Amino acid sequence: MSHVRLDALSKVYGSNAPAVDDLTLTVERGEFLALLGPSGCGKTTTLRMIAGLVPPTGGTITVGGADVTSLPPYRRNMGLVFQNYALFPHMSVADNIAFGLEMRNLPRSEQTSRIAEALAMVRLEGYEKRRPRELSGGQQQRVALARALVIRPDVLLLDECLSNLDAKLREQMRIEIREIQRRLGITAIFVTHDQVEALTMCDRVALMDRGRLAQVGTPEDVYERPANRFVANFVGRINVMRGEANGASLAVAGAPVAVANAPRTQGTVDVMVRPHRMTIRPEDVAAAAGENRVSGTIGRIVYIGDVIQVAVDTPAGPLVAERTTTGPDWHTLAVGQRVAVAWSAADTLVFPPEAR
Amino acid sequence: MSLLRRPGMLWLALPATAVLLFTYVAPMFGLARMSFNRTLPGGAMQPDWTLATYAEMAADSFNLELTLNSIQLSFTATTFALLLAYPVSLFLFRTESRFRSLLAIIAIGPLLVNGVVRVFGWIAVLGDRGLVNSALLALGLVSEPVRLIYNWTGVTIGLTESLLPYMVLALLAGFGRLDREVEAAAMSLGARPWRVFVRVTLPLSLPAIVLGWLICFILAMSAFVTPKLLGGGRVFVLATQVFEEAVDTVNWPLAAALSVYMLVLLLLFLGAYGALTRRVER
Ligand SMILES: Nc1ncnc2c1ncn2[C@@H]1O[C@H](COP(=O)(O)OP(=O)(O)OP(=O)(O)O)[C@@H](O)[C@H]1O
Ligand SMILES: [Mg+2]
Repeated sequence: MSHVRLDALSKVYGSNAPAVDDLTLTVERGEFLALLGPSGCGKTTTLRMIAGLVPPTGGTITVGGADVTSLPPYRRNMGLVFQNYALFPHMSVADNIAFGLEMRNLPRSEQTSRIAEALAMVRLEGYEKRRPRELSGGQQQRVALARALVIRPDVLLLDECLSNLDAKLREQMRIEIREIQRRLGITAIFVTHDQVEALTMCDRVALMDRGRLAQVGTPEDVYERPANRFVANFVGRINVMRGEANGASLAVAGAPVAVANAPRTQGTVDVMVRPHRMTIRPEDVAAAAGENRVSGTIGRIVYIGDVIQVAVDTPAGPLVAERTTTGPDWHTLAVGQRVAVAWSAADTLVFPPEAR
Repeated sequence: MSLLRRPGMLWLALPATAVLLFTYVAPMFGLARMSFNRTLPGGAMQPDWTLATYAEMAADSFNLELTLNSIQLSFTATTFALLLAYPVSLFLFRTESRFRSLLAIIAIGPLLVNGVVRVFGWIAVLGDRGLVNSALLALGLVSEPVRLIYNWTGVTIGLTESLLPYMVLALLAGFGRLDREVEAAAMSLGARPWRVFVRVTLPLSLPAIVLGWLICFILAMSAFVTPKLLGGGRVFVLATQVFEEAVDTVNWPLAAALSVYMLVLLLLFLGAYGALTRRVER
């Protein structure tokens, strides 16, 4: 049975467009769900409604079968980690962690042992007496996590809590949070606008677009089988070409293009292909069967380290193909060279253009 | 620091410094100098370097009574002002209402009214035939008017009210550490609203409370109009005594010595404040 259930959840601030619009979503017990979307799409609002800090204007929230929609935050038992940590600046690390236990009137001895346990979990033993401002960002983040986990919440809610950390620390914290979440078997909802974070950490990803749910699925689902143009565009890099659909056939820049799942639409469509699914071929070598290709001139080569990005100007528009730098042959490419860009039918995504 | 590293900027402080030197520092030195002068039996003042006035002041036990009166009155009025202004300021600090600035102006509006006028307003409200007593009499709660002015009660009420705008301003200025997110965090950890207030809001507004209390205490200690007019000659504090010695008795050295004494007293409070804030900041 699902653990957390959002049913037609909505939030309208004043007379603005809805911040969250008719959101229906379930989270399984022990699942780690990412709530992913661009800035302002309503992620924080959703999370705060689950925590009870923002009253919904419509819909219901169920946790473990019980309707909590109208419960105040202090009766919900949710562990919330804020984007800016929101530690109590006037309390030591130990007092910060103890706060939730005190509110639950736990005996002193149990408090002490649980605090020690929580500090060990986030590897901050010996920092009990420090004030939050005497800690680094990463350490504050861990205190916030410990403070939220020590109360043994029903659900752990994390709001972009890694975005203030440097790349290295962020990667390390991703692994740590995932590890702790798995060990405790706790249901967690992780808000982020960083797709790498969502894809690498979470069991499932829920994508939000302007307050609405755009798609929910495993990282592979949303990456390989995006449900719509928004998801294809938001998750990972992608090339966009203008195509003409005519029943089962599709043409880009006048040339036919093979598609695995033919669109049943008519007229102008967006044809999308991921850069690393495009390969650079010599122009004079014939196309393999079922392979789509378009010729062009290399306009730019960007060296990233593990890959190079080759921008090719083609009749279908500028396309970017990625090639790994594993072998030596990538050195043979040069700006101004005539090449063919090739990709398979299975890697071709087709969507009706974004309605405006 | 950065100012000192860019000496050019110091010129910007020159006009204010000049004005302060002439209107504040110079008169203070003049006052201090005057307190060492001698008073002749006829009341005339003779330039001198004597501690006679200070000895006289210390010997007079009435001055101790005045000191205690001043401190007690200031303490009471400041504390009442704090209790009244705190909820208002907290509301003003937090409201997202469109009328926020208007509300803030209303709260500090009394500053626009001359202190003497406000005192007469209080006389109209608190007098024997004033608003309060008329209402009490009409309701039959009392059989004869309650004395609300020309005594300590009246002065305390008037002083409290005159401190309110300053208290609101000081609290608003000091609320910088208050953070809705931190309060939300407390609530999500299981704290009911009143526990959030006691454990988070109140401790985080302590710097504001200390600041507001100190500013208003100093203002109350040096308040003269309210004790003089609402006290009706029955309320004696240090500030009224300085006036008396300077204007009625025309004993300028004594008035000056009393002023210096008040100044030292306030500096002591400031020192205590410094020590206290250093502990609060910890
Ligand atoms: N208190 C509020 N009053 C009015 N509008 C608000 C309020 N909070 C959020 N909004 C609006 O609701 C929408 C969603 O905001 P929300 O904070 O949920 O976005 P988000 O997805 O968390 O964005 P970000 O990634 O930038 O944090 C935004 O358009 C925002 O302007
Ligand atoms: Mg947000």
